[in-house]
Amino acid sequence: MLHRGQSWLAEKLTKHASRNVVYQRDDVTVELPATIGKSEYEQDDGDGVITRAQVRDFLINTKDLLQSAIATWPRRGDRILETDGDTTFVYELMSIGNEPPWRYSDPFRVKLRIHTKLVDTIT
Amino acid sequence: MTATPATVIQIAESVVAEINAGDFSKANLSAQRLYVPNFDLEDMKELRVTVVPREVEYLPLDRASNKYHATIDVAVQKKFSKGDAKEIDPLVFFVEELADYFRLKRLNSFVAARCVKVENSVLYSSEHWTQFNQFTSLLTLTFELAK
Repeated sequence: MLHRGQSWLAEKLTKHASRNVVYQRDDVTVELPATIGKSEYEQDDGDGVITRAQVRDFLINTKDLLQSAIATWPRRGDRILETDGDTTFVYELMSIGNEPPWRYSDPFRVKLRIHTKLVDTIT
Repeated sequence: MTATPATVIQIAESVVAEINAGDFSKANLSAQRLYVPNFDLEDMKELRVTVVPREVEYLPLDRASNKYHATIDVAVQKKFSKGDAKEIDPLVFFVEELADYFRLKRLNSFVAARCVKVENSVLYSSEHWTQFNQFTSLLTLTFELAK
């Protein structure tokens, strides 16, 4: 029952709170609905050399990704392109703190929470 | 009247000039001197070389002068895509070229200073590697002069 409830919630989230993004792995690209899960700023000053990055989490239906041309779980280095008007923001899958680049977002593995950082802006 | 910069700054500026004028495997370098290397990941697509004055040490030489040690960090940074040997090996080689260049080198525009120690204690930062898909190597040069 909980699984059904989670699936229903995921469907509503996809239907009402998502936007289409382009998921890219090397030369393969697919368009998928994604919900923005988190957006914040991260700074690392290891060894006195500071790097800052815009962090963004994307929530994508597990099924959507696995049934697409990508056909496997997310991989470090994959990219997500989000277009806003004339600007395309390019995000790359990376670890956040001690977390790997992605994890399941719920106990039933309905959605993937994908961690990314902004690596390019195309206008 | 413009004041003469501090010795450590003059040394750092000379290091910048020598890197930019040098004949290395990476061409068209535009090294810059900064107090704190502080960049957005978006800006790391191109190779960045940053020269940072880090530490100064005065050791007594005689009654009137000191043996002056200036420690200068040279950060070599670039965002990579795959992080494979093809992409990273040339960067490691470039860092080694810089290390070889400065070993026992007297700076052309500040001949009083001679490089007496070269360290590459951070060959690559594993933190930047995992968190940013970025190569960050830190070369530490120690220059000595009597002052």
